[in-house]
Amino acid sequence: MRRPPLPPSLTEVSGFLTSWSQSPALSGGLNSDRPVAWGMDARETVPAVALREVTKTYQVGEPVHALRDVTLTVPRGSYTAVMGPSGSGKSTLMNVVGCLDTPTSGSIELDGEEVTTMSDRERTRIRGDKVGFVFQTFNLMPRLDALENVAMPLVFRGAGRAERNERATEVLERVGLGNRLRHRPNELSGGQRQRVAIARALVTDPALVLADEPTGNLDSETGRQIMGLFEDIYDEGNTILMVTHERYVAEHAERIVNMLDGEIERIEDLDAAGAPETEVGP
Amino acid sequence: MKPVENLRISWRSIRGHKLRSTLTTLGVIIGIAAVITFVTLGASLQEDIVGQIGGEEASSILTWVGPEGQDQAPGFGAEPVFSPADVGGIADIETVETVIPYTIWLSDRLRVGEETVIRQEAVRITSPAFLEDEDFRAGANFAAGTNEAVLTPNAAAMFPTNVSVGDSITVLRGNRTRSLSVVGILNASDSLGAVEGFQGTPRIYTSPEAVGETRFLFLYVEATGPETVDATKEDVRRYLEEDSVASVDLPADYVFKLQTSEDLLSQVREILNLLTGFVTGIALISLVVGSIGIANIMLVSVTERTREIGIMKAVGAQRRDVLTLFLTEAVILGLVGAVVGAVLGAVVGFAATEVIGIDAYVFPLQWALIAAAIGILVGIVSGLYPAWNAARTDPIEALRYE
Repeated sequence: MRRPPLPPSLTEVSGFLTSWSQSPALSGGLNSDRPVAWGMDARETVPAVALREVTKTYQVGEPVHALRDVTLTVPRGSYTAVMGPSGSGKSTLMNVVGCLDTPTSGSIELDGEEVTTMSDRERTRIRGDKVGFVFQTFNLMPRLDALENVAMPLVFRGAGRAERNERATEVLERVGLGNRLRHRPNELSGGQRQRVAIARALVTDPALVLADEPTGNLDSETGRQIMGLFEDIYDEGNTILMVTHERYVAEHAERIVNMLDGEIERIEDLDAAGAPETEVGP
Repeated sequence: MKPVENLRISWRSIRGHKLRSTLTTLGVIIGIAAVITFVTLGASLQEDIVGQIGGEEASSILTWVGPEGQDQAPGFGAEPVFSPADVGGIADIETVETVIPYTIWLSDRLRVGEETVIRQEAVRITSPAFLEDEDFRAGANFAAGTNEAVLTPNAAAMFPTNVSVGDSITVLRGNRTRSLSVVGILNASDSLGAVEGFQGTPRIYTSPEAVGETRFLFLYVEATGPETVDATKEDVRRYLEEDSVASVDLPADYVFKLQTSEDLLSQVREILNLLTGFVTGIALISLVVGSIGIANIMLVSVTERTREIGIMKAVGAQRRDVLTLFLTEAVILGLVGAVVGAVLGAVVGFAATEVIGIDAYVFPLQWALIAAAIGILVGIVSGLYPAWNAARTDPIEALRYE
């Protein structure tokens, strides 16, 4: 899916969006009857993430192309799943979108800010401000309790203690852990740990929630509950980009980006019931 | 990140590994405590000795003859060359207040009544002025030109039946016998000057006339005050070298030695500082070992917490935040070690002065501050590399780390 590079002006980005999706149903579906967290101002038209011709090449002996000219837009308030077999580049996609890694070429705009040319320092700031991570292995700090884990991103933004605790408590209550604030990760079940991790991702009110196999370490029932929680936070207006290799997990999303060998193979748009509606081939 | 948060998080992670942190700190504690102990001991010993030498003797000059050469101990190689005429000659110098001769009169035996003890170095020939400022347990000072004698308490106890005022002591040398009449016993047996050494051996003070002695090993020249002592020293030297009877009797290669208490003090200080420096140097080695311990533990800690570092970076911790966290942890370990070590060193130093029997206790405050500074420095130096390692950890790798 190669397209000429576009100047990053708003009108052309939205025009680009349409040409990319080739589907009136998609744009209609995205902006229809669900709430959008940022209201109806001009920013609404700025997508949460816009990748243009992103290529990532690793030099391990011979060059390995983890991503090849990937162009993808994640609209604000959308729920996107990225699927693909191992080595398809979906983890690399997560890393570059989450500002953990920089692409070899191409451009990535996160909430309207070009991140590929940023310094490590600026990228770290963007990561803290605009991205919330949810990992397969939860990645909680073992010696900190739930409240402290959730409040941690705010520590690095210089928030005061009272403010942090208030905000973290609020988010933990939202994910149903209002009665587990002082429990450490080893005192919580897997599902509860993942809820803490989701609360941590939401505490900074990020432009994008990046989830990497969030149900991979959970049994199916707990996994279903966690997917239900993702639906809830999606309904609250959050933007979700989720990497998974489970079809039934991916089907919770509005659309599925299928990746293969570092390229987008096809994009499926799903209706509310979770069934494939449109296919967008390369 | 706010500094107070940084401190809180670092302190938490130290407390999270209590045993490890304690053992790490122990290395620094032992190092700092050893340094402080030895420095305290050195300073206390110096103070003790300086207190014995200094003070009222600030204006006195010890004079003797000895082989040419520098930095010899007071009285080294002394020969009995000073005559009563020289005592008079020096006393005539304007800035000289008094001249006190002093010599060890060698005896074979001492007898009180029927009891005889063998003692060679007990009898000290001097003038009453030598005991002027001393306290007497019994009796009073001896009079010049008589056979009166004053004993130290341990000299009085030398004989099976204790000697008291009014007794008479017979001193024997070869086939000569002299009788001394005990008129006083001093309050303490402590050494009264450099020529008596530091031990305070049993001594019997009497005048030259009592045993017919006409040559002295030492002259204590008392200047009119501390401000004239240096000029007086040169005047006395000139007299001795040019006009004295002693210069006639001077053995070959011998020169007159004149030492003020200030000369002596600086010599003692030099020796003690050398000694203290030497021992402190050894103690510093243990401090170095302690700091290597911190570096090692911090490296292990960084590796162990790779994943946590990854999480922190993923949620927005800057390199600087991570660096500061680990550096703070190392500095806290070093600082706690230094503070505890300084206190421990002060206590052990005090205990050591008591056990060894040093009468002074000087806590070197500046060294305690230096110790705190060293503790922080040790923390920074040994924590810098591990912290830097932590800061540049790649979050992707770190999050994958098991």
